[in-house]
Amino acid sequence: MHMFQAVILAAGRGTRLPEVLGDAPKALLPVGPYPLIWYPLNLLQQHNFSEVIVVVLEQEKLEIQVALEHTPLKLKVEYATIPSDSDFGTADSLRYIYDRIKSDFVVMSCDLVSNVKLYPLINKFREHDAALAMLLFKSGFESDVVMPGPKSKHKPERDLIGIHPATQRLAFVFAASDCEDTLNIQKHLVKNKGQLDVYSRLSDSHIYVLKKWVINYLHSKENISTFKGEFLPHLIKKQHAKRPAKTTQDTTSEVGVATKHEDHILHYVPHSTLDQKITQTSLFNQSLSHSPYHGDLVRCYAIQAPKETIGVRINNTLSFLAINRKLASIWLQLCGESHPLIAPGAMVKSTQTKEIIVADNAKLSEKTSLNFSVFGSNCVINPKNIVSNSIIMSNAIIEEGCNIENCIIGHRAQVKSGSVLKNCLIGPNFVVEEGTKTQAVHLSNADQFMEIDIQ
Amino acid sequence: MAQFEKQIVQAVLIADNNVWNFKPLSDEGSTALLPLVNVSMLDYALIALNRSGVEEVFIYASLYLADIRNHIKQGIAMYASWSFKMTVHVIGGEGCRCFGDAMRDLDSKALIRGNFILLGADTVTNADLRPVLEQHKRTAKFDKGTAATLVFKECSNNLRTGNELLIAVDKQNTRLHYHQRLRLNQKEPRYQLPLDIFLGNSCVSLHHNLLDPQIAIGSPSMLSLFSDNFDFQTRDDFVRGLLINEELLDSRIYVAMLPPAQYAHKVNSWPSYQLVSRDIINRWAYPLVPDMGVYRLQQQYVFHKDNIYKSHEAMVPKVSLHENSVVQAGSHVESGTVIRHSVIGANCRIGKNCQLNNVFLMADVTIGDNCRLEHCVVGSRSVINELCEVSAGCVFGSNCILPAKTKLSNTLVTSSSNTQSSEDHEAVELEAIGPQAYIVSDLTTGDPDADSDGEDLLAQQTLCIPKMGEPVRQIDELSDYSFNSDEDEDESRAVTPLPDDTNIFLSEVIDSLTRGFREKSNPDFLILEINSSRYAYNMSLKEVNFNVVKAVFGIQHILEPANDNVMLAINAVFKQLGPVVSNYIKSEDAMLDCLNALEDVCEENPLVREKISQVVHYLYDKDFVSEDAILAWHEQLDIDIEEQAHLKKSLAKLVDWLNQSSEEEDDDDDDDDDE
Repeated sequence: MHMFQAVILAAGRGTRLPEVLGDAPKALLPVGPYPLIWYPLNLLQQHNFSEVIVVVLEQEKLEIQVALEHTPLKLKVEYATIPSDSDFGTADSLRYIYDRIKSDFVVMSCDLVSNVKLYPLINKFREHDAALAMLLFKSGFESDVVMPGPKSKHKPERDLIGIHPATQRLAFVFAASDCEDTLNIQKHLVKNKGQLDVYSRLSDSHIYVLKKWVINYLHSKENISTFKGEFLPHLIKKQHAKRPAKTTQDTTSEVGVATKHEDHILHYVPHSTLDQKITQTSLFNQSLSHSPYHGDLVRCYAIQAPKETIGVRINNTLSFLAINRKLASIWLQLCGESHPLIAPGAMVKSTQTKEIIVADNAKLSEKTSLNFSVFGSNCVINPKNIVSNSIIMSNAIIEEGCNIENCIIGHRAQVKSGSVLKNCLIGPNFVVEEGTKTQAVHLSNADQFMEIDIQ
Repeated sequence: MAQFEKQIVQAVLIADNNVWNFKPLSDEGSTALLPLVNVSMLDYALIALNRSGVEEVFIYASLYLADIRNHIKQGIAMYASWSFKMTVHVIGGEGCRCFGDAMRDLDSKALIRGNFILLGADTVTNADLRPVLEQHKRTAKFDKGTAATLVFKECSNNLRTGNELLIAVDKQNTRLHYHQRLRLNQKEPRYQLPLDIFLGNSCVSLHHNLLDPQIAIGSPSMLSLFSDNFDFQTRDDFVRGLLINEELLDSRIYVAMLPPAQYAHKVNSWPSYQLVSRDIINRWAYPLVPDMGVYRLQQQYVFHKDNIYKSHEAMVPKVSLHENSVVQAGSHVESGTVIRHSVIGANCRIGKNCQLNNVFLMADVTIGDNCRLEHCVVGSRSVINELCEVSAGCVFGSNCILPAKTKLSNTLVTSSSNTQSSEDHEAVELEAIGPQAYIVSDLTTGDPDADSDGEDLLAQQTLCIPKMGEPVRQIDELSDYSFNSDEDEDESRAVTPLPDDTNIFLSEVIDSLTRGFREKSNPDFLILEINSSRYAYNMSLKEVNFNVVKAVFGIQHILEPANDNVMLAINAVFKQLGPVVSNYIKSEDAMLDCLNALEDVCEENPLVREKISQVVHYLYDKDFVSEDAILAWHEQLDIDIEEQAHLKKSLAKLVDWLNQSSEEEDDDDDDDDDE
């Protein structure tokens, strides 16, 4: 594995998690006992990576660094910071750390919680000398969870992913929302390869294995800002690029043509005459009538994770709620080793608990019934409370006699005694008045909420 | 009978598909009885059904019913290989005009009692359809709305015979969601599929490399669906109708693939006739090969290496026969003749030093000495006299006599001048090339009803029937790709230009004209439509002139002309839309606009570019543009710009001619003055 570098992109601002984010970085969202970013790091560590580059916003670096030092991670984390005031997309971030990439590399997003094995992906990448290999999950992890707060039409983002079943070559990745009523499929995508499978219920894991030259190419494409939205489709399209008709022999005579070649993707693909000869003489071929890979030098592949794999991206409030609620039941599958889900520093006096996760210094009093819930650090649950299917964030206080079901109680929020909350979102620092009985609302201090939104 | 009802496997054979494509032989007898490697197509279909365990077959025919009845009777009398364990009924009638009518008639006669196999009489297959039938029954048990299972076969992707299609199938339950026939000319740049297909199903497979051998398994409900929807004319109508009104009709279509080892193909035109003949000779359709005693239970041929099948009772010098040839009993070939990739029927006589390549002779054909025949079909009892050269898809009806030393290519020939059915056409005087040889025009003004079953949409699109020839291989794959990726490059790199008013106007005019051309609507209405578009987008008169001409040349019919004959297409379009053009192109200035538009068209359409001088000449002939306008236009073409220089060069001859003729006129004028 030494030949791969790993990059985790953790400079996201979590714009789709306004309800739970508070002022903390997205990478530090609490997922069970650890911050969110621990999960991809742990995944890499399980695959014997020893070093990883984590891209963070400059202002958040210290906070993340401190948080990670409290976790039992053995791999060496190098931080690459990008300016806090910049409006960098994921491709911009990669371009920014371009000179740190020395070999083929794995890019992950910081919001992935998964127990997937990366070996099939990396094998596919190596086997076919691919430019890119991506991993796909079956979507629907959060499908059985009801989003708290006012009822809104939750439309999951869907991708249309075209894969040639015989080779697992990627044909296209479109966001369904980008298409209008029809899907336009170019003829060459189906013509020579016969069958093309189009999946609509797979989700992109945001784990990519990439060739070193790809980042050089990305570096030259300065108008591309996001990886998934722009660069990935671009690269997939370029699979069919052929060398421009004018070959390199007249580059000396025509200066204008030579500079144009710089821009062409095949200029970046290392393909020596030796490689060509190997291809010509190799016995390997998938078809009797075509040259291997139809002569394509840029090749992108997609691997589907096995069905039983857990894989979810925590990029919106719903998936955040889902992972936290289910974490206790899937913990063993996810991390492979038992970890005390109730932190040693927590005070749990409650006797009726089922599948709960409790962080340090949380105080769960006696005479409470607590099921399928997560309790953040320093939170206080007073006696005579019933809490189920909920997330109580750090420093929140639940006074006596409350019944809380399928709610997210924000950081430092306070629920005064006698409240009955169902399907509610309680924003950070909000105080729920005594005896409130309500359901499916979003309660927050409006200005506070605004502030997060701008951020 | 009642106790057997459940077990009996029934099948329906539809004869008379694509009759139009087999002119002139289709005028002389049923196409189902057309011999394919010396066995009639109907027999191949019957054998296929017999091999699949079918016990009762209904042959549905509308033309030459008596001939087919006789053929079946004969077959039974001589113990044809399909006649065992299978009863065959021939039904049909004159009133039946299309596939849909046949299905409705079958429904009303209530002959079909369960799931049935539906086959075209022109299908050649060695497939065992029992597993497919079982699959259909399983699906039907699961989904009560199962109307049919269509059977497809994977094929190579670089040959088009009009049977290829693109389908979208649900990967889990093989349900059909989309169905599109591919064009003969391979000119689809992209496919547009409704997004809902993909969003509604977790995984949809697109199959592009499929051949439709016209095999289907029908549920009883299929027939009643035809009865309920009297507008279903063809099987494609049925498929389309069900896909659109899935919920309304509560019926679904499923798909089955034949395993790779099984052969299936439909013979729907001369090129596919050639293709399937070669496949049979090359033993792809085994056991449906000549030496296996197909149809007749007796050894008819001896099989030699290089796929040569020769009857013992044929007199052929050994050196004459080259690869892939079949010679039936009683034929006589003189010395010095070379035969390859050909089928020789019974009792043919072939003279000395002939060259036969991809030639299909039916029974009792005589060919004189020193003839060269290539890619042609000769009907029974025809005579081709010595020193003839026949090539590129010629077809001779029966009893033709081709005079000596005739050179023919790409023509259909019939023996008498009045074979064309008089109901569809006025008695047309056919061009004679001999006492018993008349050229049949295969051009039509596109009356879809004339081609009987209209089974194939393609017959309407292409104006003449497809002919034999060397199979057209796919155009350079490489250029195909690079072109596409370059196109993408432009799309992704540059900001996509917003459609400005001019472009919208142009596309609206194209739409109007295309519709007008197709529906033959009144030119005045089209002018009204164009004018209203004009005011909507605030176009100047100059722009209107320019864009109307551009739009005329932008009609699909001209962009993709049949057989690449662009002049013919232009003629057809202008015949219909001429009044519209002349409404706008009146003044000299307008004519100049018109020619400028033509210049634009040239850049976009290589076919027009090639024939530009003919196009301009045509416009001149029909008085759309004046001589002065052409000369002025020619004058303003700039030699320094590459395209324009090329244009100027191609026009030089025409301009010279115009100049000359005008000088003559001038001379005349001068003379007049003098007198």
